[in-house]
Amino acid sequence: MGRKLIKGGILYTMEDEKEAFQGDVLIENGKIFAAGEHLEAEDCEIIDASGLYVMPGLIDAHSHIGLFDFNADKSVDDANEMTDPVSSAMDARYSINPKARELKVAYEHGITSMLFTPGSGDVFCGQPFVAKTYGDNIFDMTVKAPAAVKIALGGNPKNTFGDMNRCPMTRMGVAHVLWENFRKAKEYLEKKENGKKPPYDAAMEAIIPALSGEIPCKIHCTQYDMLTAIEVAKAFGVRFSLEHAWGATDYLDEIVASGCDICYGPIATYRAPGERRKIDVEAVKLLDERGVNVALITDSPILSEESLYHHMGEAVREGAPWERVLRMVTINPARQLGLEERLGCLSEGRDADVILVKGRLGLDTDAKVMMTLVNGEVVYQALG
Amino acid sequence: MYIIRNGTVHIGDGSFRENCDILIEAGKIRAVGPNLASEGAKVLDAEGCQVFPGFIDPLSCVGAMGMPSRHLDNDEHSEPVTPEMNLRYSLDPDEVNNQEFYKSGITTIGLASTNNNLMGGQIAVCKTAPQKMEKRLVKEHAGLKCSVTGSVKETFGSAKCLPMTKMGIFYLFQETLRQARDCEKEKRTTKQNVICEVFDEQSMQVFCAAATKNEIDGLLHMMRDEKVQLNIVDGYCFADSLKEIKEKKVGLILGNVNNMSQIAKHHMDLPKLKELAENGNRIAFTTSCGGYSEGREVFLWTAIEAYRAGVPAEEVVKMMCKYPAEMLGIADRVGTLEVGKDADISVFTGHPVTSYAAKVVHSVVNGEVIF
Repeated sequence: MGRKLIKGGILYTMEDEKEAFQGDVLIENGKIFAAGEHLEAEDCEIIDASGLYVMPGLIDAHSHIGLFDFNADKSVDDANEMTDPVSSAMDARYSINPKARELKVAYEHGITSMLFTPGSGDVFCGQPFVAKTYGDNIFDMTVKAPAAVKIALGGNPKNTFGDMNRCPMTRMGVAHVLWENFRKAKEYLEKKENGKKPPYDAAMEAIIPALSGEIPCKIHCTQYDMLTAIEVAKAFGVRFSLEHAWGATDYLDEIVASGCDICYGPIATYRAPGERRKIDVEAVKLLDERGVNVALITDSPILSEESLYHHMGEAVREGAPWERVLRMVTINPARQLGLEERLGCLSEGRDADVILVKGRLGLDTDAKVMMTLVNGEVVYQALG
Repeated sequence: MYIIRNGTVHIGDGSFRENCDILIEAGKIRAVGPNLASEGAKVLDAEGCQVFPGFIDPLSCVGAMGMPSRHLDNDEHSEPVTPEMNLRYSLDPDEVNNQEFYKSGITTIGLASTNNNLMGGQIAVCKTAPQKMEKRLVKEHAGLKCSVTGSVKETFGSAKCLPMTKMGIFYLFQETLRQARDCEKEKRTTKQNVICEVFDEQSMQVFCAAATKNEIDGLLHMMRDEKVQLNIVDGYCFADSLKEIKEKKVGLILGNVNNMSQIAKHHMDLPKLKELAENGNRIAFTTSCGGYSEGREVFLWTAIEAYRAGVPAEEVVKMMCKYPAEMLGIADRVGTLEVGKDADISVFTGHPVTSYAAKVVHSVVNGEVIF
């Protein structure tokens, strides 16, 4: 694959403590070879980025594109295998429609990677994966699978199984399923570690990578369920992020103390008593200030992928500094997913997922991605 | 008595004035202009700020959705034709209050029925501020909400009732109109009276949900000889029927484009909005999509999408203010910052159509500073 030199842009590399600077990005073999000032290289394609912002491709850390498929008249739900509250063995890669039109919208808007996750109809919902948004075959596009253990508290699982008169039909029922299955998975793991051979249990096998710290749990929760999630996750020593996290301002201290990550969104749901009582975008600013790793998520296609810009904008509107908000859709989600060595940052050795942007995404409403590169290839170029 | 001092005042009709004051008295706008005398008035400093008329969402469902149980007080789908239903009676003021609409600059909403009925009911318009009901209600009988979308056939077809197909929808619409008109005036039912008042006497405009090309084309064909002013609601595939929409100067109330990936799902061609605007079609925005509403933020988001698609910012402001007021027949009271109109005013730190950093610092509804 040929070399490319992106010249003369304003670089936001997302490296810690590094200010924006005018510089160049050299790409070789689909990876970033260097990002710095006055780079020179022979035999390479030059991309003029003067007057444009150059930054890593954006990451949406919580999406269901192609799993909920709204491309046909009727919506397709392949995101929720709601036959058992513990569906942890379900692999979302087998449910996705890789030709969903939303993926094109994503890379045309500079979103180059995503965490694709099962829905929240079960307590243990299945295995999310991280993939690039451009490509032909989802297995080739995949960066990491499984990338997390998806868990859901609250109304979704309780409605699913409550309608069948099965446990869990209440929030305490959900907590019980959570405790019980983490306990079972721990026992299962301990037996394996002690040389005993428990009967193979795919659901428990799928929880083990979280217990051993390889991947995080992504826990859908709002309101008081956040404390339940924190309590259980801490008891079993798993890394975790609180997904959606509406109402997080009620538990700022507890969230900070737990060391968990936050995936905030989608914003713009209507306010209703219960799980939707508070859409407190200011939490994004407050938690970021206190050192919590915050990502912004769209829940796409529930809200569409291009609304990631609006999500960034709402965080800016609530006072989060624009440069911090850029991190919430690049390096922060990369770190949450343990992929900071590949994604979310323009430094040597990372995947060459790069965007060239006219204007400031998330601040100027008419900011526009002019070019998107995925793995060093130009996959989108705006006209004019 | 208040004076909003020294802001950039957007009148709401596409024009704006720099360094301009607004004087408010007894809930109404008394003067708009530079250096107004303000003896005895409390001052709201708008130096460096952008001042707008309260925005109008003409077709919100919030306020009649019956939260938290979502029993949907705007969904009387006991039969497909219920034009006599008055949304005013379904209003829950607390549900409106909870949304804090003023934080997105929205001070007036039209309450509409879902898309499940062919003719769902009559839109009622209210203010979003937590005030006494007598101050909140702006107008009832402000528009007739209709729908020719798949929601109608899903609602009634699943019960094996007419209409269970698109052709059933249009047949029933035409038959309903014909029967109302054929009936002697004194023998008409309440329903038929409303239908004749709307379609023959044009007592209010028609707001009909139609998302796809065949729904929009069918609606325009069916309404080709009708005199009533038609507004297409949701209208995601408007660009596929641009010629017809332009010819008939049909209004368009663009639904929440970010909900359920409408742009990708319908291959939405938003830049065509500019052509419609230049043609003089009235355009407005709503938080609703498919007959249900999401959060107040999406009102601004859809406005921003229109701007991103090439519509000039002040034309977008018109779509948030003047046009929805005209559609609902309430332009005598709201929609523009003119003398004699209700003092519904939002003071933003910036221009919310061009900058995400724009935040409401003051909100005035009926002359009361509520924020």
